[in-house]
Amino acid sequence: MKTIAKLACALGFGAAALSPAFAETDTKVALVPGGPHPYFAAWEQAGADAMKDFNLGAGDYRVPQKWELAQQSQLLESLLTQGYNSFLIFPGDAVGTNSVVSEIVENGGQAIATAGCLKDPTPALFCMGTDTGNSAYLGTKELIKAMGGKGRIAHFTGFLVDPNTQLRIDAVQKAADETNGAVTVVQVIADIDAPQPAEEKINAYLAANAANVDGIVTTAWVPAVTAANSLRKIGDKRIKMVGIDHDEVVLAAIKDGFVNGTMLQNPYGQGYLGSYVLDKLRHGCTLKEDAPWKSNALTAKFVDSGTVFVDASTADTYVDAMRGITKDILATFEKDYMNCQ
Amino acid sequence: MTDTLHATDNFMPEQRRGSAVMRLALSNELGLAVLIAIAFGAFAITLPGFTSPFSLFTIGRQIGIDTMIGLAMMAVIVTGGLDLSVGAIGVCAAMVFGFLAQKMGIPLPLAAPGAILFGAVLGFINGYTVVRSGVHSFIITLASMSIFFGVMIFLTQAQSFNELPASVQALGKLRVGGMVSVLLLITLAVCAALSIFYRYTVLGRQMLAAGANPRAAELSGIRTGRVIISCHMLTGALAAFAGLMLTARTGAAVPSMAGHLGQDWLLPAFLAPVLGGTLLSGGRVSVVGTLLGATFVTIMTSGLLLMRVGEFWILACLGLMLLLAVLADRFRQQVLRARGMI
Amino acid sequence: MALSFTRIFDNDWVGPGLVSLAAIIGISIFQPSFLSPFNIFVLLSAISVNMVIALGQLVIIAIGQMNLALGAFGGLVAICFVAIMELYGVPPILATVIGLAIGALAGGLTGFVIARTGISAFIITLAGLQIFKGINLGITEAQPFYGVPQSVKDFGNLSMLGPIPWLVLPMIIASLGMWYLFARLRIGRYILAIGGNRTAAELSGINVTATIIWAHAISGLLAAIAGMMLVARLQIGQPTIGDDWLISSFAAPVIGGAVLAGGHVSVAGTFFGVVIIAIITQALVLFAIDPFVVQIVLGGLILWAVGINRLRELRVAKFNARTA
Repeated sequence: MKTIAKLACALGFGAAALSPAFAETDTKVALVPGGPHPYFAAWEQAGADAMKDFNLGAGDYRVPQKWELAQQSQLLESLLTQGYNSFLIFPGDAVGTNSVVSEIVENGGQAIATAGCLKDPTPALFCMGTDTGNSAYLGTKELIKAMGGKGRIAHFTGFLVDPNTQLRIDAVQKAADETNGAVTVVQVIADIDAPQPAEEKINAYLAANAANVDGIVTTAWVPAVTAANSLRKIGDKRIKMVGIDHDEVVLAAIKDGFVNGTMLQNPYGQGYLGSYVLDKLRHGCTLKEDAPWKSNALTAKFVDSGTVFVDASTADTYVDAMRGITKDILATFEKDYMNCQ
Repeated sequence: MTDTLHATDNFMPEQRRGSAVMRLALSNELGLAVLIAIAFGAFAITLPGFTSPFSLFTIGRQIGIDTMIGLAMMAVIVTGGLDLSVGAIGVCAAMVFGFLAQKMGIPLPLAAPGAILFGAVLGFINGYTVVRSGVHSFIITLASMSIFFGVMIFLTQAQSFNELPASVQALGKLRVGGMVSVLLLITLAVCAALSIFYRYTVLGRQMLAAGANPRAAELSGIRTGRVIISCHMLTGALAAFAGLMLTARTGAAVPSMAGHLGQDWLLPAFLAPVLGGTLLSGGRVSVVGTLLGATFVTIMTSGLLLMRVGEFWILACLGLMLLLAVLADRFRQQVLRARGMI
Repeated sequence: MALSFTRIFDNDWVGPGLVSLAAIIGISIFQPSFLSPFNIFVLLSAISVNMVIALGQLVIIAIGQMNLALGAFGGLVAICFVAIMELYGVPPILATVIGLAIGALAGGLTGFVIARTGISAFIITLAGLQIFKGINLGITEAQPFYGVPQSVKDFGNLSMLGPIPWLVLPMIIASLGMWYLFARLRIGRYILAIGGNRTAAELSGINVTATIIWAHAISGLLAAIAGMMLVARLQIGQPTIGDDWLISSFAAPVIGGAVLAGGHVSVAGTFFGVVIIAIITQALVLFAIDPFVVQIVLGGLILWAVGINRLRELRVAKFNARTA
């Protein structure tokens, strides 16, 4: 309803209540995902909270209407025109988004690659996100523990064009290899990004191979939801599963015992911390070159926003756990990563 | 299918009756131009950032790229066909360009024509299959977009070419007079060349004739099969050109730059020529109309984004605009017909 | 003449039917679990939904047009269906009726614009695609609705009899309905007549405008059924439902022998087209084929089907020439 009202007044050409472009003293943060995806829903609250807590000029969550590189670039250019000067961007493409970020920088803005990284060399300040490899590794470890240390694992994951996917496949393999052959990864199904293909392929696989699989690890949102639903449908609690993220379906399946646990990422913390850092950097702080940056396949300037394993005992309190991690990073970020006057 | 007389009229303006002024006043192009002027004026007054040099630069660049995509589709609509694989061809050509320039170290003045030639070859495959099989181009290009894109993804393993010479990205950022994108100027040049091509060259006129009435064209000695194949090749070349412009804008050849299967391009590809008055049944083109169509869509999108309508309603607004535009066009034709001017 | 006509109808589904049978036998030799009850259940669920989607396109192909907005109809109905149940507590039966009404209305409106203005269906449904998808995005802001009632979830999840899912039921009703429509009803004959030769149909006194509106309303109705079936199957009201219908909605009827120019379609052939696509999708997973190759296989499949159809058309033409 709210959006309809917005549309109505905007179409009247009258309500273009824009603040003057480039207010010098204010940090106007825009949080821009690559497209609509439930993972980013927490950014809206994070931006609003950061705006209140740090007195920002803006902390707005703005979503490209479709998951298209051109749409995101056009939205970012428009936001720059609207006077936003600080950006948290999930790169629509690890390479392709660099050019619009360089335009932001050339026009006096700044940007952090958030939740996914841009490939070096990049004009972005740094990359903050889940250490995807580590998260997949820890999740697989938890799964192996639940399986009693031996058995066969199937791995369901996301877009092949997403560079994180390869990191995840490697990390799951690494965790399995450490068991010296007690655990094997029998199949990786990738590129199941939309609900319909995910449903068809995961069910097809389980239908044929449920008896040959002891554990499932999923490292992308949609496959996690679909696999949790499938296990509930089969009614099989023999197959152990560790999912990813905090979709209601996955959390409910954990509470009902069909899924053993899920690796939470920290989207709220990414949005909140990122806004804080961008504001600091506009007001007298600079990034330390010798800060304890981590590196990954894409960039040498990476900050881990944290990951937590949640099982049935913690499924109700996971929000507090994530807030705790966010607080920890916030407490030390200035000291570790920035020089401030 | 199409009424012969009417279709023939469209590309032989000298046969039309009625006053030239009146026809101009009711022409699709003028209507669009007026709409653009109104929209631009309204946005410029109400939206402070809209006319800033950066905003004008990005709008111009977007117009340049979208027009080129629209021209690529227009070139095949001329024959009454269509090409769903424009996006796939554009990305394939961009990746070939990246491969030539980065991996083979071929200088840009050779790599760019090479990529455009490759686009024309892919267009030839489409055209040849359409003509030889007699199956509608919709189905053939539905299959070929899957195949072209699939082979490209398979060969590149979805990896970008991001170490192109710096001049590529510099071209995408180059501004003339502080606010005009060079990409827009390139597109304007291509528009001029295409206008001349359709009006004054034999092949261009044959394309229009074959599109308006294939049987009559055949009877008058035009080898329609060859002409249709050359239309598809022109489409492939223009799509490749658009892919190169997008590469310049991105500074890298990226497999995902036109989305899955290249289908992100389909909307701009159809919107611009159809808004601009290119008949889907073939036989009539409007290069200027395509340019104006892309301009209108880009300005409306930018304005809607700046007005903060809510990103999610932009799609619905664009759809309504398209519907209203074709309805207005239909109304205009009825008026013209009522006055005996068609 | 009558003989050759039945011959075409015979041919239409025999080819794809044989291919389906061969594929099922071939795959089950390599993968015995392919014919396990659960896998049959999964396969039938996928086939059911995709068949209804294909029928939605089939009726428009029959009249010689194309409907790009099919997926947008389905997606809009799907989220409206869940939204009214979640937000207003509408009982599922009533919500289903409302969903069907929305689909038929959206389709009818599209058909009305096409029929009254005479503008190409391609353009109008392209605009319709954006408008209806845009409304969908505007309502949902791309967030899914989770409040699917248990009865609806069960309908998508449970089996009716052995390995046969409940989802088969709407598919059978829709298929029989469409077969009856084309074979027995006047409106079906009108649709085919207009698809075959519009001018001749007009001259023989068929109300073209009304028929086109009917065809599009039926298409919208089928899209609505498919959208709601997907809600039951996915257990969630996803705004992305319908985004990927376009290619398969054309591929299945074309594999099943439909003539894209209109006037000739086969419900049974379309069914086997859907079966072939479903089997191939499954086989690619079962044999762990490089996902990068999947697109190439799908594209090749369409070309293959087109080639077969073309050959058959030539044969039929020869046959007719001989008997005439």
